[in-house]
Amino acid sequence: MASSAARTRPPAFRSVGRSILLTVPVAMWALLMFAPTFRAPGRNHHLGASAVIVFMTTLFFLMMRTGKTYRWRRYFFVALGFLFPVGFIASLVAVRGSMSIPIERMVSGDTPFCYMVIPLLIIPAALARTLIFPGSILPTASNPHSIAVMIGLWLAMTLVLGKAWCSYGCFFGGIEEGFAAASKHAKIRKLDARLRLVPWAILLFVVVLSAALFEPVYCMWLCPFKAVTEYPAVHSVETAIQMGIFIALFAALVIVLPFLTKKRTQCAYFCPFGAFQSLFNRINLFEIRFDRDKCVDCTLCQTACPTMALSVESIREGGTLLNCMKCGACVDSCKKGAAVWHLKGTKVALKPERARLLFLYGAWAMATLFGGSILASSIATVIGFLPLR
Amino acid sequence: MRAQVKTVLAYVGAAVTLAIAVCVPFVLMGTFSKAVAHAGLHVDASYTGGAIAAAVTHGAYQTVVYQPVWPRALQQMDPFVQITFRPVAALPRRVLEAIDLDGDGQPDVRVSFTVPPDPRSRPSGEVVALNAKYAGFGMPGSRSSFSQLMVQSNGAVVVRVPLKEAGTLR
Repeated sequence: MASSAARTRPPAFRSVGRSILLTVPVAMWALLMFAPTFRAPGRNHHLGASAVIVFMTTLFFLMMRTGKTYRWRRYFFVALGFLFPVGFIASLVAVRGSMSIPIERMVSGDTPFCYMVIPLLIIPAALARTLIFPGSILPTASNPHSIAVMIGLWLAMTLVLGKAWCSYGCFFGGIEEGFAAASKHAKIRKLDARLRLVPWAILLFVVVLSAALFEPVYCMWLCPFKAVTEYPAVHSVETAIQMGIFIALFAALVIVLPFLTKKRTQCAYFCPFGAFQSLFNRINLFEIRFDRDKCVDCTLCQTACPTMALSVESIREGGTLLNCMKCGACVDSCKKGAAVWHLKGTKVALKPERARLLFLYGAWAMATLFGGSILASSIATVIGFLPLR
Repeated sequence: MRAQVKTVLAYVGAAVTLAIAVCVPFVLMGTFSKAVAHAGLHVDASYTGGAIAAAVTHGAYQTVVYQPVWPRALQQMDPFVQITFRPVAALPRRVLEAIDLDGDGQPDVRVSFTVPPDPRSRPSGEVVALNAKYAGFGMPGSRSSFSQLMVQSNGAVVVRVPLKEAGTLR
């Protein structure tokens, strides 16, 4: 049995020694990022940070060793998606006693900033120099996730990742990726390509309406993830309807449809922030391209793409659609080595692994900094629940 | 030649991208946050209560009256005036104050409330309008809105009094 497994095992992409060498910078970065956690007291936080350092370093090593990106990134991303609500809800319950956000917290500027609101802020900020979000601009003791800090983080991650934010930074996408992975085969295979336009329509709608109403309309009415984070206290018909919408959207787009289609349906067909992030793929240097000399038009990559970012036409033209989030699923699935990582300005397929490495170092640094710190904090919270002495 | 230049520029760009990734944690909290704060942006007055108009000190605590806040564009909010009493620790158990909101020397509302010992609880009290421009209210409780509330927040009791006559105080 063992020898049979050894016979079928694919050849390693890179030697153990070289893989370790390439992983060393990532390990050092993770240690540097969590050094402040170890300097402060708190056994649970030390355990959480240690677990994340090992986790992120191991996954990067496996990416180097196997040459696969999506396969290993997914472990991080799904863990982030499922652990973020655990830590966030636990902290809300500890501070407020419930997941609902009371008006006191909004008035005091204690609402943690969510990047989803960024596109909605632009017009009121430009025209009236006003931020339509109940947070504080500078970090405070009660709200370290201030508007300035989170916008700065988003800006840096966007420059480094472009739309890849959606596969290395977003703490929501992992939930649906997890439900998509839970299904062995897609029960719904045919999806109308025009559905790709829906996030753009929603983006336009919420940006214009938010500017007109001077409130973050998407957060108040349409965000599916309110169901697993925080929401306005239910005390009227209006707030009950809001809550009903959040739960219905979450159930449909984040649980049921990903399970049935094996796609990230909320990201592909609904998320206005994802559409907004797509615009930054234009300025980001990294992309996925197709070596037309090797491509046999088998469309395995199209089937593997979790966000419908490939079409027959785009593959024939040697690229992806604007909404590609650089998760690497198409590259991992391509049996001919035609789908490759690419640095804009260089020749396609000349040094794809170099482009992948350059991208992954930046992406994994950001993932460790942002998602890693969320993971560590959530793990510390979970450990706190365990009956350990 | 042109292709070579493009390639070099591409790798320089990639190196800059990596440098950004590495520098972010070290500049984010300090330099970048301060730069954003100095950009002249402010959080909408419906959340913050707006700009301070006047402050009166009563021994250990202070009553601060804010400028009226008006809805902007199609904002779904009634106009209001915010009053804060701070710090909560210095407030007498029962506060009863007649307050001039428009600066004409005459009291416009009478605010009374009892400060609860739990900082997460809401004060119990009422606002009585002494001027027809303002709307009094009893305990807003669950009907609290950005325009009508009486809560504890950030070590202060925050009261928002709705304005009845839109436009009179502009």
